[in-house]
Amino acid sequence: MTVTVSRAPAVRQSGWRRALTSPTTARILFPFVVIAVWYWIYYTIDSRIFPTPLEVLEFMWEEITLTSGVTYSSVATNLYGQFGISILRLTIGFAVAVILGTAIGLGMGLSKRVDAFFHDPVMAVLAMPALVWALFLGIVFGFGHWAPVLTVILAGIPFVIINVREGVRNTPKELVDMAKSFEVPQDKITRHVLMPSLMPFFFAAMRFAYSIGWKGLVVAEVFASQVGMGWTIKFWYDAHRAKGVIGYALFFIIFALALEKLVFDRLARRAFKWRPQLGAYELAEGDFAGVAGEGFLLEGDEIGQSVQVTGMEGNTGNG
Amino acid sequence: MAEIKVENLQKEFGVGDDRVVALENVNLAISGHVFVSIVGPSGCGKSTLLNILSGIETPSAGQVTITQDDREAEPGYVFQAARLLPWRTVMDNLLFVQKERDDAARERCQRYLDMVQLGDKVDKYPGELSGGMQQRVGIARAFSIEPDVLFMDEPFSHLDAITARSLRRELHHMWVQTRKTVLFVTHDVGEAVELSNRILVFAKGGKLKDDIQVELPFPRDPSDDAVAITKAAVLRQFEELDLVAS
Repeated sequence: MTVTVSRAPAVRQSGWRRALTSPTTARILFPFVVIAVWYWIYYTIDSRIFPTPLEVLEFMWEEITLTSGVTYSSVATNLYGQFGISILRLTIGFAVAVILGTAIGLGMGLSKRVDAFFHDPVMAVLAMPALVWALFLGIVFGFGHWAPVLTVILAGIPFVIINVREGVRNTPKELVDMAKSFEVPQDKITRHVLMPSLMPFFFAAMRFAYSIGWKGLVVAEVFASQVGMGWTIKFWYDAHRAKGVIGYALFFIIFALALEKLVFDRLARRAFKWRPQLGAYELAEGDFAGVAGEGFLLEGDEIGQSVQVTGMEGNTGNG
Repeated sequence: MAEIKVENLQKEFGVGDDRVVALENVNLAISGHVFVSIVGPSGCGKSTLLNILSGIETPSAGQVTITQDDREAEPGYVFQAARLLPWRTVMDNLLFVQKERDDAARERCQRYLDMVQLGDKVDKYPGELSGGMQQRVGIARAFSIEPDVLFMDEPFSHLDAITARSLRRELHHMWVQTRKTVLFVTHDVGEAVELSNRILVFAKGGKLKDDIQVELPFPRDPSDDAVAITKAAVLRQFEELDLVAS
């Protein structure tokens, strides 16, 4: 049999055209769009206090090289001191949220009674804006470490609990049945079936707890602290210097992205190397959980199926 | 010698008006190095019977004993889907079900993986294998614990016809070499004739309708005339039974 093709095959896009329309180009393009819009606003509103991107970068450089001549306080005199205190608070709060949240989440996933006991309080804590925690804890504990650390814990813990609980509920029953019919002992089933199947949910939980915790921390430091990144942003707000506010916001955005790339992504890559379909692009998508984990619907995408955390997350960004 | 005894076995699901009888008063005795197929339409309770025998489900009434020389027999399983741990390599999946994780176990696992022609895939993850290969790993896993009795629940039903055919051949040769006591659930009569000494026929409502002996020598060739003739005869016998009406 002879098959004749009368129509020429579709013309393939040329190399440069494909490069221009690729997702990578789109990604790189975004900062340029932001800078363009920024300059456009700068020249449109004619404000003396609105800085140019260059002014902000200059400010950040001075802060990094300690040449700005600003001494913030006796506890933390410069950028590094402020950053150090915030990171310490975040680390402690995050660790407590992850450990305690995992324990409660495991309990809720495994036992209906534990689930019934914690369900409403978890939803209530989830619904509470971090701002309210910050104000309330500031009144109770004053301007120390307690209010910021507790705000990080309370902002992050519901996400850990809910994700871990869903993870336990999603343990593939057919694999547990398989292990049981081969008479594999329970502790081995826990280690080799339950824990690995929980990992994607646990990673999503960590990302949420970290990003939501960061935001809670900044809000708490604005209202209930005399040091830290949040306080420093407030300092520049009080001084009426927009470049300081934007500069410090950029500092922790950069930090958040770096942590996401250098820690969470690497951990995820190691934990999920069994997933052949996990490509670089898919991992890169995970970035957004780190900086944009706020809102009504949150997605954790470590596995094909997404973890949807539905709930009324307090508007933590409004501090 | 492995022995399976099922006496007055009854299994029901639900209560009141929702009550469904999955198995009704089933009596069975299987002993020795036989390959027994359990055949019947969907909902005839064949998978339920296997689940009860394997201890995943408990019977509503009756008794089941599986022994090997007067001790409790050790079972092995092959499921409809391969049921491999996706986060463990092929070798680790086999080692996961071993009692001891020693050199002997590793060697045994390698031997059975060689038998299913996956000896060079030990370090692959299940996600890197095709469906047929995954099921092969599942078969090797069941054989690797060298069980007294082997339970298989429609292991080829999720595969395409060509892959299923080649796996059936492999299973057949493995069985001829090892002569384990096998209980094999299938809805494919041809498959049952090709593989087994004995075919238990179940009808809707969980009743054991027929017990057919397949008197063909092993190893069998599916393209052999004798196998084809037996297949036709068993199919005719099937049509005479009213399997779908409960």
